[in-house]
Amino acid sequence: MKKMDRKLANRYFKERTRYMIIYFVVWFIVSYGVVLFAEPLSGFTLNGYPFHYFMGAQGAIVTFIILLFINASVSDAIDKKYGITDSSDKRLRRGKVINN
Amino acid sequence: MDTQFFVSLLVILASFAIYIGIAIYNKARATSEFYVAGRGVPAVFNGMAIGADWMSAASFIGMAGTIMLLGYDGLAYIMGWTGGYLLLTFLLAPQLRKYGRYTVPEFIGDRYDSHLARFIAAICTIIISFTYSIGQLSGSGVVIGRLFEIDAKLGTMIGVILIAFYAAFGGMKGITWTQVAQYLILISAYLIPVIFMSLQLTGNPIPWISYGEIVGKMGELDRELGISEYFAPFTNDTKWQFIALMLTLMAGTAGLPHVIVRFYTVSSMKAARWSGAWALLFIGLLYLSAPAYAAFSRFILMTNVAGSKITELPEWTQPWIDTGRLQLADENGDGILQWNELIISNDIVVMATPEIANLGVFVIGLVAAGAMAAALSTAGGLMIAISSSFAHDIYYRVWKPEATEKTRLNVARWSIAIATLLAGLIALNPPGAITQIVAWAFALATGTFFPALVLGVWWKRSNSKGVIAGLLVGLIFTFSYIFAAKYGGFTILGITDTGAGIFGAVAAFLTNIIVSLTTEEPSKKIQEEVMDLRYSEQMVFKDGEVWMVNGNKKT
Repeated sequence: MKKMDRKLANRYFKERTRYMIIYFVVWFIVSYGVVLFAEPLSGFTLNGYPFHYFMGAQGAIVTFIILLFINASVSDAIDKKYGITDSSDKRLRRGKVINN
Repeated sequence: MDTQFFVSLLVILASFAIYIGIAIYNKARATSEFYVAGRGVPAVFNGMAIGADWMSAASFIGMAGTIMLLGYDGLAYIMGWTGGYLLLTFLLAPQLRKYGRYTVPEFIGDRYDSHLARFIAAICTIIISFTYSIGQLSGSGVVIGRLFEIDAKLGTMIGVILIAFYAAFGGMKGITWTQVAQYLILISAYLIPVIFMSLQLTGNPIPWISYGEIVGKMGELDRELGISEYFAPFTNDTKWQFIALMLTLMAGTAGLPHVIVRFYTVSSMKAARWSGAWALLFIGLLYLSAPAYAAFSRFILMTNVAGSKITELPEWTQPWIDTGRLQLADENGDGILQWNELIISNDIVVMATPEIANLGVFVIGLVAAGAMAAALSTAGGLMIAISSSFAHDIYYRVWKPEATEKTRLNVARWSIAIATLLAGLIALNPPGAITQIVAWAFALATGTFFPALVLGVWWKRSNSKGVIAGLLVGLIFTFSYIFAAKYGGFTILGITDTGAGIFGAVAAFLTNIIVSLTTEEPSKKIQEEVMDLRYSEQMVFKDGEVWMVNGNKKT
């Protein structure tokens, strides 16, 4: 175990948090944003659906899935940047896991 | 008892044989090289298992029917039950994984260092899981009722016995590969009818593309009938109800004890993130199809069934009238069934549509098997959440720490039996549609666990007095609002019982924060443990410094 520069650790946390805030802003716009402005948005049609209906039935869900995959791979990249590797992951988890 | 009965029964029994077969095979393997080889289940399959665990009778049996009857307003369920995975995967799952406890009451008890908080959290788990299981039993009643062509009440009673056995048999739940099989059966049972209907109605086998056309056509039919258009927003409820319901379902997803537990069993924080992403992809497959299912069902009912002579109704109608969930009455006596004379319960739409569309005995049987997989797998998980909260968190940790393992196991079995029976009694006369009952469980989770967990993970200043007050206030607020809205007709901004969680959550957050700030700080050890959750598993926060654990060869 070795001490890590406090500034570096803070930067790690801040970087992770910044991305998370971006994801939540997108999350909010595609779901709550569209619902709030459903009436004016219903004027457009997309692929045969009124736009507000399309977002509720398909657009929002696809966006959520994409955001989760982006988060998973971006988080991996950030971990790598700060020198956190998967091999150490595997060592650590021993003894902490219950059988599933 | 016709061909349909035997085919459906056969498909259901065959699917059960697969689950049991996998369970036995895995048990046999577990004793040999299974442990030695390391137990990492790839995140993809873990995602499928989470999907099977998560998708209950509400998603499978209830949701499409709810959307069919509510139109656009029903889409709050679609966005709510998927969008919650972002809250769960960003804010809670990896952090709770790092903390390393096995149940939600355990996390709350240890993080806040309070037996009372643990006890209240266990009670909340029991209440939430119990409410949720009423919906599952009601769903199994619909499936079994149709299968044997009996009243859904009798079907529910058979379901109670099945689920009690299933949960007590234990081994079935928690084995990832059994759940992977359940997911595959569940999703094919859902997609095959939608794809067939899409082909029948539009000639295009890809329902997600083709149903836009149907939605448009239905708008025209609705205008002719003089009712509000299918896709028109906020025709049944207010905009605020839509938003409150969506928020309740999202926050509830992140606070449901039996869902969170699934993330404790993944191997690392990284695996928690990837499992969450895969899970939502697999869940999304069903959720993207539910509005298509709803649109096709409604279109077929409007064009093929409404308008036919009351004396020449198709064969499929009688068994469903027998279950008590379908009413066809020629009210104006013109000998023809009009659209408004057809009353169909939300909960039979998914089960009845393959029959209405004449998709053949095998597809109908498969849908029944899929519905049973959804109801049983989730009910099993809920019963285990209830019994572990009672037998482990209350009985063993608080009440009788000297109890032997054997007594604890007996207590666990009895709590499953009693909980199933009680839930079954309520499900005999379900107090609402399946999606509605399940939405109450989400409202309760939103009002209690969501604030307690989010503040517990992200705010080190939150203390035991804050969480105890927060949990109690949230629980009481949510409960009172559900009852006042459902039975007293009391609403704020048109927000009904299903959106109650938003009030509970606001009250619980405020209470937790105010009480925490006016009482003493948690101990230094606890504050450091909370700070530690900000960092990845290789980084440890200790004595105000961050330490890097060197697991790799470079030491």
